[in-house]
Amino acid sequence: MSGSGDLDPTLREALIARLTAMADDELILGHRDSEWTGHAPLLEEDIALANIAQDEIGHALLWLEARTALDGSDPDELAFFREAGAYRNVRMVELPKGDWAFTLLRQFLFDAFETELLARLARSSHVPLAEAAAKAAKEEVFHLRHSGLWLERLARGTEESRRRLLAALEQLWPYLPQLWQPLPGDAALAEAGVVPDPAELEEAARGRIMAALARAGVEPPAEAVPNPGGRERHGEALVTLLIDMQSVARADPGVEAW
Amino acid sequence: MAAAAPAGQGPRWEVFKQDAAGKPHQAVGSVHAADPEHALLMARSVHARRPAAVSLWVAPADAVFAVTAEELEAAGPWAVEDGGPNRRFLAFRKTSHRRAMTFVDHVGEVEAPGPRAAVAAAMVAFPEPPALTWWVVPADDVVASPEEEAGAWFDPARDKTYKQQSAYGLLAPGKRKRVEDG
Repeated sequence: MSGSGDLDPTLREALIARLTAMADDELILGHRDSEWTGHAPLLEEDIALANIAQDEIGHALLWLEARTALDGSDPDELAFFREAGAYRNVRMVELPKGDWAFTLLRQFLFDAFETELLARLARSSHVPLAEAAAKAAKEEVFHLRHSGLWLERLARGTEESRRRLLAALEQLWPYLPQLWQPLPGDAALAEAGVVPDPAELEEAARGRIMAALARAGVEPPAEAVPNPGGRERHGEALVTLLIDMQSVARADPGVEAW
Repeated sequence: MAAAAPAGQGPRWEVFKQDAAGKPHQAVGSVHAADPEHALLMARSVHARRPAAVSLWVAPADAVFAVTAEELEAAGPWAVEDGGPNRRFLAFRKTSHRRAMTFVDHVGEVEAPGPRAAVAAAMVAFPEPPALTWWVVPADDVVASPEEEAGAWFDPARDKTYKQQSAYGLLAPGKRKRVEDG
């Protein structure tokens, strides 16, 4: 398997954990986005957000396939037969979809972070990871355009749109740092050039988010941040999400076509 | 600018898609959106998620002046606008009744003081093949997708092939095989 043989066992384990975290973020966010299908405020946005949901779930598959190359795990098994406690997504993506402002602001915060992450992963020393990141990065440009457009229009639209945006920002802000919070193995991976330097990634992602908020004329909430904890901690929202997302696969675990 | 639309939906925009360099932009349908940038993003999601594309244009639907060959004939002498400064118009025409996913094709540009004069100028500039329908749109009302982002807008569609329903396997009851556990 090209590129997987050159990792020592410690780095291999660290990369498996990193890939799982990235895949879980994308899968859970994609599922939350998909909950708007048939319910979005405009028919065109319904289609656009369904496209983005598919893209994010596609990115999850890219990361899970990169993991398969390392440990032989089955992406479907990981997606559909893991309990909430074994998921490693950030809390932000599992929160209920809320209103349109909440969904699009969450999407913007994630897109801004992912854009910076993918740009760096595309230069990873681990070739399969670099190739997957380059592919996902292309789609991410368009995601960020879409969610960035909504950030500005919600901020400068009507009194109601701005009120809803600010409420969403208050709710999401405490969870934001978890996006760039390093995993225990990240320092060693960064040292080996497999993943970006966590501090530099944080600075770039924060910078992008702050600049966009400033352009939209939105003051970020105060930095007093309750620590959302590690990625092994989840709320009840993830449990109910998984019941829904996994129900078809679990109804007939051996099924060959569906 | 764009006409008032049902509340909450935004005005309607016509979408023109170019399949490949050297081919004309073709009218493929419309989207509702708040403004030109939003319309382009919606057009990409609705009209260029799967099929090939290299460029999109959008224009407010009410900026399009459309006339059919029958209407031109019934109108008799075509009273064009005269006077006033010339403006640039993009001209589009339909030349075939063959069933297609597209409507009019972009043929070129004319300068005229108004849309009726633009149609008259287009008929002179682009006589063949005869048009069944003409559309003219003020060039200033047409907004194009950003060329420098064309890769991000259109490349992903190449990996996303459209599948007919029959491409998805179904197992008939009784013929079903299961993967045994272990």
